[in-house]
Amino acid sequence: MPKLGTSIRITSAVAAAALLAVVVAGAANARTARHATTISGAGSTFVAPLVAQWVAGVGSAYGIELQYSAVGSGAGVTAITSRTVDFGASDAPLTPDQFTACNGCEQIPWVLGGTAIMYNLPGVKNLLHMDGPTLAKIFMGQITKWDDPAIAALNKGVSLPDTAITIAHRSDNSGTTYNLTDYLSSVSPAWSSQLGRGVAVNWPVGVGGKGSSGVAGVVSSTPGAIGYADVAYSLANHLKYFSIKNRSGKFTTPGARGILSAATSDQKPAADNSLSIVNPPKKYANAYPIATFSYAIVPLQSSKASDLKHFLFWAVTKGQTGPYTAKLRFVPLPKSVLVVAEKAIAKIHS
Amino acid sequence: MEGLAWLAAAIAIAILGIVVWSVARKGWSELNLDLLTKSPIPFSLTNAPQGLANAFAGTLVIVGLATAMALPVGILVAVYLNEFAPPSIRTGVGLVLDVLAGVPAIVVGIFVFVLLVTGSGQSGIKGAFALAILMLPFVARTTIEVLALVPNALREASLGLGIPQWRTTLSIVLPRAIGGILTGTVLAVARVAGETAPLLFTSSLVGTQTSWNPTHALQTIPVAIFELSESPDPKDHARAWAAGFVLLIFILFASLTARWLATRNARKIAGR
Amino acid sequence: MSAADVSAGSTRRPFTGRRVRFGDLALQLLAGAAALGATVLVGLIVWKLIDGSRLSLSKYGLGFVTRVAWNPVIGHELYGAGSFIFGTVITSFFALLLATPLAMGVALFLTELAPRVLRAPVTALVETLAAVPSVLIGLWGILVLGPQLRTHVEPWLHSTLGFIPLFGPPSAAGASIFTAIIVLSIMILPIVSSISRELFLGVPAELKEGALALGTTRWEMVRGVVFPYARGGVAAALILGLGRAMGEAIAVTQVIGGGVFIHWSLFGGGDTLGSKIAASYQGASTNLQASSLIYLGLILLVLSLVANIVAQWIVRKVARKHGVTRGGHA
Repeated sequence: MPKLGTSIRITSAVAAAALLAVVVAGAANARTARHATTISGAGSTFVAPLVAQWVAGVGSAYGIELQYSAVGSGAGVTAITSRTVDFGASDAPLTPDQFTACNGCEQIPWVLGGTAIMYNLPGVKNLLHMDGPTLAKIFMGQITKWDDPAIAALNKGVSLPDTAITIAHRSDNSGTTYNLTDYLSSVSPAWSSQLGRGVAVNWPVGVGGKGSSGVAGVVSSTPGAIGYADVAYSLANHLKYFSIKNRSGKFTTPGARGILSAATSDQKPAADNSLSIVNPPKKYANAYPIATFSYAIVPLQSSKASDLKHFLFWAVTKGQTGPYTAKLRFVPLPKSVLVVAEKAIAKIHS
Repeated sequence: MEGLAWLAAAIAIAILGIVVWSVARKGWSELNLDLLTKSPIPFSLTNAPQGLANAFAGTLVIVGLATAMALPVGILVAVYLNEFAPPSIRTGVGLVLDVLAGVPAIVVGIFVFVLLVTGSGQSGIKGAFALAILMLPFVARTTIEVLALVPNALREASLGLGIPQWRTTLSIVLPRAIGGILTGTVLAVARVAGETAPLLFTSSLVGTQTSWNPTHALQTIPVAIFELSESPDPKDHARAWAAGFVLLIFILFASLTARWLATRNARKIAGR
Repeated sequence: MSAADVSAGSTRRPFTGRRVRFGDLALQLLAGAAALGATVLVGLIVWKLIDGSRLSLSKYGLGFVTRVAWNPVIGHELYGAGSFIFGTVITSFFALLLATPLAMGVALFLTELAPRVLRAPVTALVETLAAVPSVLIGLWGILVLGPQLRTHVEPWLHSTLGFIPLFGPPSAAGASIFTAIIVLSIMILPIVSSISRELFLGVPAELKEGALALGTTRWEMVRGVVFPYARGGVAAALILGLGRAMGEAIAVTQVIGGGVFIHWSLFGGGDTLGSKIAASYQGASTNLQASSLIYLGLILLVLSLVANIVAQWIVRKVARKHGVTRGGHA
């Protein structure tokens, strides 16, 4: 049937060409990468919501195009070590081995935030209380139901259902995991000896999610789930989070007050610029116990040194102000830390 | 007993139907032009329109490069096996191609990662190389089969006229086989357009702006769908479905084209 | 003078004795280089994987294969593939178990049972599913299948068959080995049924007609003639399907839930070799972890190659037995 064959041939060729044209035109119509300076970074999902807000600001301030891939702290460190990106971001401070591998990198504290322990418990309207030892038992799989006496004791007067608890943890290497396990290790000797602290641990129970979004996704879709992520993710997904009992006995939430109070517990960064503010001592009565600084990992020598310095300087000053941080519950860097950060930024050279 | 076979068939057909229907329905309902024209805005606090323009551009570039890499090599391998190689080498390399076809995509991904990415970073070209490895056995195998169908008499006649073998192969044998080669290529493209695993290792640290430059890592549709699928945001899921639907339509279209080419070609070779 | 054979698939010979022209030599060298390159590529893949996993290989040796551990905490690092090999075997085996009767049913339906008018649309349906990329099936698994299994299927299975350890308490998140099994069986169904359909079509018509002429029913003919004839080929198809299931990483990692466990219940989480690698693609935190991940890839490669080679061997044995060359019908 030559006539039909020819018309089929022509039609499909036209259709293919049309499809291709639409795709190419559409994609080209989108914001195409201009040849302005691009600063690319990768790492922590914890800071990703804030960095995403910075893109427009940095662009208009310096004409720098900021690209950030939220692949997790572990992957961010790997990326900057192999210089695949211009900067890395990690909530877990670098280990001495990682410093060596990175070969001339420094870490700069640039974001201050809190890890929320979020949960999904339909039917319970109150915001629930939690404390460290109980949380450790939950994450170890020793407490499996919401109406367990330990949880009930912290939440007197609330009727808890006997729903099973599903743990949502990170399946990738995560600075948020480091923050949580750091806290759990300090409140639970059992956790400390069996599981320890790290960007990934040998989770005895639970479902893995990729990135903070993944964990939020599991919690969101699973009644009875408990997970952990930067508090911005619970807000974005309308998830409730626990108020956690700190060392002074007060139940605090990952809000500005709690995080700032925790930050005052360690004002002197170590030689490698790291700070530890989990489970602050009793005298910080309002402290939220699972707060953390997050770090930008940058090479001391970079071909994009001046743009990198502009960006980082902007990030630790303008980028900390209300319009960027308030809605996401990040807290501006305390002055002592800001000084250290600025000194570190100044060290970058080309 | 026959009833059991009917039952099995019915269950299988029902399952297949459900999957295809729900993918099609969800994808179609979320489809809009923004998908192609807007860039993604991660952690958007407003409802500004966003899309996956960077992924569409990246897929075009990477799949195009992969085809450009795999096609000539595949044809050359087939030419060697069919026109030059003694039988022992032909079986040997044929086995090599079958083995290559059986390597899982994720293993190819790690391989290219260890070979090219560690120490020097990701790029679209490296992603295309990984896809080309997946395409090579397809292209080579279909080309071999179609070259074998070219009648020997044609070659003999040409050689008898004094035309050197290289010109015979290039100007006479290959053009006769072009339909089949095209079929194999289109099938190979259909296969790798949806591959995610190799690209995770080679082209996943990407920005949101549309870029056509393969020396940097480019976003691709399968990787974008993979990342969006784990998100808690229903709007992300909507975009994933829509992008998946476009990808599926493209793959189906390519497969249908390949099949049509094959039938047309078979008819041509049969002399009709 | 070249050999004057005219059958298709005849032997081509490289030049011997003829005056060699430059162009001929150039093409032969170029094409030969391509063929050599393909061969080298396979060897390179194996070598690079061994090289990349050297750290883990030297530290753990073959004990890695059986150890059930994956502790990435710095200072307590310990890795092993046992849990993931278990996951791979369980998911692939059960997926094959589920997919085989369904695939056979579809293949029979399309070759013997169905009225002609239904064959084209059903074939189209099967081929459409084969074209769906795995990431899209994974998306469907997370958003559609998982919640359905979690709310309806798993609780029902647990309440009725809960005495079997396989059917423990239902998963809360819809992400479990069970979901992965269903997803995998959906993915290998088209391959197995397409190959089986080709095999059933390839049964010589005179054998089938002969049986029917002797008075057998259609089903007896299928059982007595079609199945035994196609048996070898179907075995190869099953093994190919198994290999495909073992190598599938993306859809599995999207729905399997993750975890380093060996437990009986299908409704718990776990990981396979592929899914673990895919979940960790973005970078390991230490060199030992990275090389252990590559070691996992090496194990997966070996398993896939074995499945592939066994399938190929069966195919060649069957082809010899039936005396037909590849692609030929009697």
